[in-house]
Amino acid sequence: MKRICAVASFLFFAAAPLYCAGASLEQCRELRHHGKLPQARSCFEELTRSADAFTRAEGYWGVADFTAANEQFRAAYRNQPKSAAVRVEWGKLLLERFNPQQAASLFQEALQLDKNNAAAYLALARVSAASFEKEAVDFAKMAIAYDPKSAEAHEFLAYLALEDSNPGTATDEAQKALALSNEDLDAMAVLASEDWLKGDAHSQWMDRILKINPVYGEAYATGAHFLEINYRYSEAIDFYRKAIALNGNLWDARSQLGMNLMRIGSDDEAKQELQQCYAAGYRNAETVNSLRLLDTLGNYQDVTSSNATLMLPKQEAALLQLYMQPELKRALAAYQKKYRMTLPGPVRLEVYPNHDDFVVRTLGLPGQGGLVGVTFGLTVAMDSPTARPPGDMNWASTAWHELSHVYVITATHSLVPRWFTEGLAVHEEGAASPRWGERMTPSIVTALKEKKLLPVASLDRGFVRPEYPDQVLVSYFEAGKICDFIVQKYGDNAILGIIQSYADRKNTAEAIQENLHETTGAFDKEFLAWLDASTGNTVRNFDAWRHGLATAHAALDNGKLDAAILAAKQVNGFYPEYTGKGSAYELLAQAYEKKGDKRAAISELEKYRDGGGTGLDSLKHLAVLEQGAAQNAQAETTLRALNDIYPEDQEIHQQLGKLLLAQGDATGAIREGEAVLALHPADVAASHYQLAKALNAAHRASEAKDQILLSLEAAPDYKPAQQLLLQLSQ
Amino acid sequence: MGGDLTVRLLLLFLATSWFATAGTYFVTVAGLGGTPEYEAQFAKWNTDLDGLLHGNGAGAVVQSLSGPAATRQNLRDLLERLSGQMHPDDTFALLMIGHGTFDGTDYKFNLPGPDVTAAELAKMLDRIPATEQLIVNMTSASGASLPVLARKNRIVITATKSGNEKNATVFARYWIDAMRDPAADTDKNGTISALEAFRYAEAKTAAYFQMEKLLATEHPLLSDTGKTVGVAHPEPANGQGALAAIFPVLRPPSETVQNVDPAKRTLLQRKQQLEAKIDRLKYQKAALPEEEYKRQLTGLLLDLARTQAEIDK
Repeated sequence: MKRICAVASFLFFAAAPLYCAGASLEQCRELRHHGKLPQARSCFEELTRSADAFTRAEGYWGVADFTAANEQFRAAYRNQPKSAAVRVEWGKLLLERFNPQQAASLFQEALQLDKNNAAAYLALARVSAASFEKEAVDFAKMAIAYDPKSAEAHEFLAYLALEDSNPGTATDEAQKALALSNEDLDAMAVLASEDWLKGDAHSQWMDRILKINPVYGEAYATGAHFLEINYRYSEAIDFYRKAIALNGNLWDARSQLGMNLMRIGSDDEAKQELQQCYAAGYRNAETVNSLRLLDTLGNYQDVTSSNATLMLPKQEAALLQLYMQPELKRALAAYQKKYRMTLPGPVRLEVYPNHDDFVVRTLGLPGQGGLVGVTFGLTVAMDSPTARPPGDMNWASTAWHELSHVYVITATHSLVPRWFTEGLAVHEEGAASPRWGERMTPSIVTALKEKKLLPVASLDRGFVRPEYPDQVLVSYFEAGKICDFIVQKYGDNAILGIIQSYADRKNTAEAIQENLHETTGAFDKEFLAWLDASTGNTVRNFDAWRHGLATAHAALDNGKLDAAILAAKQVNGFYPEYTGKGSAYELLAQAYEKKGDKRAAISELEKYRDGGGTGLDSLKHLAVLEQGAAQNAQAETTLRALNDIYPEDQEIHQQLGKLLLAQGDATGAIREGEAVLALHPADVAASHYQLAKALNAAHRASEAKDQILLSLEAAPDYKPAQQLLLQLSQ
Repeated sequence: MGGDLTVRLLLLFLATSWFATAGTYFVTVAGLGGTPEYEAQFAKWNTDLDGLLHGNGAGAVVQSLSGPAATRQNLRDLLERLSGQMHPDDTFALLMIGHGTFDGTDYKFNLPGPDVTAAELAKMLDRIPATEQLIVNMTSASGASLPVLARKNRIVITATKSGNEKNATVFARYWIDAMRDPAADTDKNGTISALEAFRYAEAKTAAYFQMEKLLATEHPLLSDTGKTVGVAHPEPANGQGALAAIFPVLRPPSETVQNVDPAKRTLLQRKQQLEAKIDRLKYQKAALPEEEYKRQLTGLLLDLARTQAEIDK
């Protein structure tokens, strides 16, 4: 039978090999489908002795000899240059073995050979799904279009729908899959996951799965995936453990177990699981990068207080703890009061100086692009200011944002939908400081213009599987504004009420009805009208603003200062919120300064600062101008704002320290002096001297003397330090 | 240990007496920019540098070449003319701003007309009578000139570590800043030494690339012992920096011990003795118990502070 199949496969290209080997391959797959793993293995081993490379490839794949499988697929690829099926199968192997780009190329090749190849479309859907791309849904639908009887395609659509928080569609598609194949285990896994997401410990669907395949741990792994993308990491861990208990060779599940253990701070156990994966040859990016990150934890030190631990990189700890510890304390106190709750344990804030290390903490979760912070229960991970170009992030607002998640996720037992916790976090940034929060960027204005905001009932979708490049950003903005609107119209108690509704397992429509007493449709209408009142002018005059600002810049570049000022002032009113690159405020400040009008320049830059501008050079220049104009209170505000953005700049601390000392704030001056020294300044003598002055002002004479000695040790002839030494020695 | 201390004390003596009497000659050259932006940038830096070097007072001779006048021949002529005025106990500094190139064999400083190679520069500099020399090559690919220019009693500073670092440099900007920023004067003696300027500019250059999250395309080096390999961090451990530490790049004209009354001279001598004792004590720090070191240091610093207060009366 096998020899005939081999000949047939030579003569009949695409379908033939699978048809003939299919009987045998199908048998192997059937055995595996029913959990008869040892028998399945024997079956696959037999396939490895086939005369047909394609069949051998499937056999080796079945016994997990991936290298041999790859070689046989390569041979089959050469032998069958017109076989779409070979390409699809080979691509699936590559996708399984961590090579999505090459896999996608093979699937595309298959489509070039056979443009109606449903299996290729479905495979491309899986590639896109790994990155939560919207194309995943499009490809899955095309698979169904070309093969309406593909249970696998329907089951995958069910999976994607549940990722998009669309249980209705998920159920429909899963049922369609089951109607086509009543033993579709993965369709049942999606249905079981819906039960688990609702909080049901037991699902009849899992019973059915186990009757068909008693060792189908993949179903638990599926459930774990949905739990983890809904912040329910501890539950996800339990489910991954169940998956592995049924089948210890589910390496993907074990790797995910390790990643989730890292998320809740169980680093030792995480390492054990990940090392097992690595040793078994399961070396995907998540496993390898997570292990590498765990190896670097010795480069961090913990700074602990009663209710929080800061994990700081050793080389930055002396500086960052001066600011992060008090900010953490302030945020926790504010949230404890606002949310009327005490957390069940201490908060852990991990700060990563290397953005790539931070990214490892977020791998596998939706909505990745541009993240600078992420929360896992009581643990927050964020970039250090040094992980990004200066001005790219505001560490203080990021900390407040993430800490809001800690409270809301805890308060709702992790049942809060993504849009609401993100929206509330954005709102809290703005509540903590009017300079923080999600600004209306040009891409958001464009989205408003094109009416791309989502209804509140489906806003989660904008975070998980964006339909256009900036949709995640737009969704953050929209969610934040929704929370602003609710607070403005209904007060903070409405927010607390909504939190409770989610904790009681209500959905968004129910939460809004209960607390705001209207349907989501009515809410959307009201919210959009409210939003339009503050953004409509910008949206309607966006093109005029762009054109006018460009004109202003051109005039400034040509030295036509008055023309630049006129053009910028004419359009700035259209979009006063814009503090991005090339803002009107900065342009006006430049022009005014060139005309010698420093007061006007200061005024414009202060508007820039207060509007959330984060350009380091502009703000530093503002601080210099303010000090020059003896506007010390404003200078202090500016320097504090700079500290929130990039505390690694010595000059900021030097200037702020001098200002605070002059104003009698010795404690603040000491902090700034310590910050300068933490940055290993070149001017050691002056730095120790400044700190000595601050300590002296705080009547800490002995410490002041120590600092003066350090100053003079570096520069014995430093006169100001000599004078202070004499004074301290009297 | 004793020999090293003798060298250090000798250098301290030289620092206070040698440079007080000898003349100081500075030549700045801004080479070919190639584009209007670079032309303007190099010209501005040259003007700034020239202005700052004039802060050394009437005792310093500062000459500058830029624009079309910055030709190889003009440079040669200028150096020859200045050589006619110099003595062996004078100091000479050449500061180069602009683009450099390296073809695998020769470093060239890009000038209007024919470029000047490192070898040609070395020949010109070898004819200069001033024994102590400072060459600050702030151009791209300047690292390739270091092995050629290195010589005993000559401090060579380059903006890049090799001829393969070919991007336009930012080092020049920070070298100039060093001469403006009091923070560069880390020993607070009122003088910016070549070492202080180098350390300041090197640190600022590294910080620039780190802040901008860019791969660093220049790594400044210094060699002042004649070694053909420079170092990024001159210190006693690698034997570099001692000459650069006492070569003043910017020194206010009042910093001399000439023309003071005998009483003040006694105080100044007392001051120098205390400075030497402090220097010696710091050298012994590792061998002393911490409290003893602190006690002795405090005593000497107090003495020095009182002496300075008397001098300043």
